[in-house]
Amino acid sequence: MYSSLMLSRAGLVASNLGDDIAKLWREASPQYLKGARDTLILAVVATAVGCIIGLLCGILQTLKYSKSDFVLKKIFINVIKVVVRVYVEVFRGTPMILQAVFIYFGLPYLTSNALRFDVITAAYVVVSINTGAYMAETVRGGILSIDRGQTEGAMAIGMNHFQTMVKVILPQTLRNIIPQIGNNLIINIKDTSVMFIIGYAELFAAHKAYVGATYLYFPSAVVTMAIYLIMTVVCSLLLRLWEHFIDGPENFNLATTDTLALTSGMNNFPSGKRRRAR
Amino acid sequence: MSVILDVKHLSKSFGENPVLKDIDFTVSKGEVISIIGASGSGKSTLLRCINLLETPSAGEILYHGENILSRNVKAPRYRSHVGMVFQSFNLFNNMSVLKNCTVGQRTVLGKSREEATANAVKYLEKVGMAPYVNAKPKQLSGGQKQRVAIARALAMEPEILLFDEPTSALDPEMVGEVLAVMKKLADDGMTMIVVTHEMAFAKDVSTRVIYMNDGVICEEGTPDDVFVNPQKEETKAFLARFRDKG
Ligand SMILES: Nc1ncnc2c1ncn2[C@@H]1O[C@H](COP(=O)(O)OP(=O)(O)OP(=O)(O)O)[C@@H](O)[C@H]1O
Ligand SMILES: [Mg+2]
Repeated sequence: MYSSLMLSRAGLVASNLGDDIAKLWREASPQYLKGARDTLILAVVATAVGCIIGLLCGILQTLKYSKSDFVLKKIFINVIKVVVRVYVEVFRGTPMILQAVFIYFGLPYLTSNALRFDVITAAYVVVSINTGAYMAETVRGGILSIDRGQTEGAMAIGMNHFQTMVKVILPQTLRNIIPQIGNNLIINIKDTSVMFIIGYAELFAAHKAYVGATYLYFPSAVVTMAIYLIMTVVCSLLLRLWEHFIDGPENFNLATTDTLALTSGMNNFPSGKRRRAR
Repeated sequence: MSVILDVKHLSKSFGENPVLKDIDFTVSKGEVISIIGASGSGKSTLLRCINLLETPSAGEILYHGENILSRNVKAPRYRSHVGMVFQSFNLFNNMSVLKNCTVGQRTVLGKSREEATANAVKYLEKVGMAPYVNAKPKQLSGGQKQRVAIARALAMEPEILLFDEPTSALDPEMVGEVLAVMKKLADDGMTMIVVTHEMAFAKDVSTRVIYMNDGVICEEGTPDDVFVNPQKEETKAFLARFRDKG
């Protein structure tokens, strides 16, 4: 193809590439930048919505009932769990590109146009519920990984299940799953490119439109890749900052002095482990 | 003395395994009860049943005469009157020391921020942890964590405090600071049930000692009764084993 052709004239290409990119940027930078913007907004919004869906589903999946609860409550909880599981399995287990086709073309077809989304809404819906399916599992795992002692500590001071979740378990879960949220965001930045199938104009669509008109495949690919990389790197940096923000400062300030402990006076216990004295 | 808790014929099995068998005892206001016994004898399970962290298989637990095992008693509300201090502290890792001591007051008791904070600081002062209000649990030593956990329980102003081996997870040099706090509470008249392997504490601080063996209360009495004049062979053997270990 074009790329193997390029290898045979390696010397020439380096200078050509620079020229071609400059030409491309002169002619079409607004389209690429608009594509990048739409990619980024779609990815960020859909990841956020997906996180909320995932949080709800993750919580629903950890609902418990005790033997003494009423039958209706038990049935209700079980039905909810089955629905959530089906949702997770279906949307994790099928390609997003087909989900887009299904929702954009399939829903109007099945409902004789009673239910139809425009392109932009369809794109947001598909990426959101797809992300939600992944996040549901992440959140479920995150909740299960919190030490049982945290729940017991909360129950022991009289907090109910809901208060325990909101005040104690979910904040710690959220902190622990930030890396996964970052993963999903980055995956979404890249994978929203499949939305070209329903005609959503994001970065990859800008690339396709430009090369369709000019045949500058490789220069355009270089530019497009660079833009994707910049977006993903910036996003992962921002997520790191968020983690640091949640963790708070490494040290704390003593209000006065501890009167009871002989061993105090140290402002920082990094791991809680201490050498035994003598 | 007014009776706070009356435990009647309490039994608990895990599957086929009976862990508590027909336990009977009462707790009156101001009592400090130490529960001693070998590992696996059911001491933690008993405390956890009293706090409804485990559901008893049979029997009754009367709190001021009301059976808390009946369906229409709300477990969270009851638990807010019965504090618990765990071996592994169980401080909320996502909150500062201060927040650990205010969150229950705010969410469960519905107190205002100012009131909850003032109250928390009062109890943190009592356990000598007031200087650490801004610290996160991971920045504290074990002894400090346990003292905060005690303050957290106290801040709910419970009627009775349960301790499950509060010093067993601590390095030896930190045991003293926690026991000192507990002694102070006992002196102030707090009603406490303490599961412990600290025999000196059981002997010196408690008003009553319960020796548990294999899921039953084997012997019960004043510290003198149990430590100086034990009646049962099992108790004697347990205490002898303890002395040998040093
Ligand atoms: N959740 C559980 N499921 C099944 N068995 C359990 C459970 N919790 C405790 N047991 C069993 O119940 C028995 C009593 O346990 P418990 O923790 O009450 O003993 P303990 O007296 O507190 O011992 P230790 O001094 O080691 O803390 C043990 O044999 C233990 O294996
Ligand atoms: Mg125990």
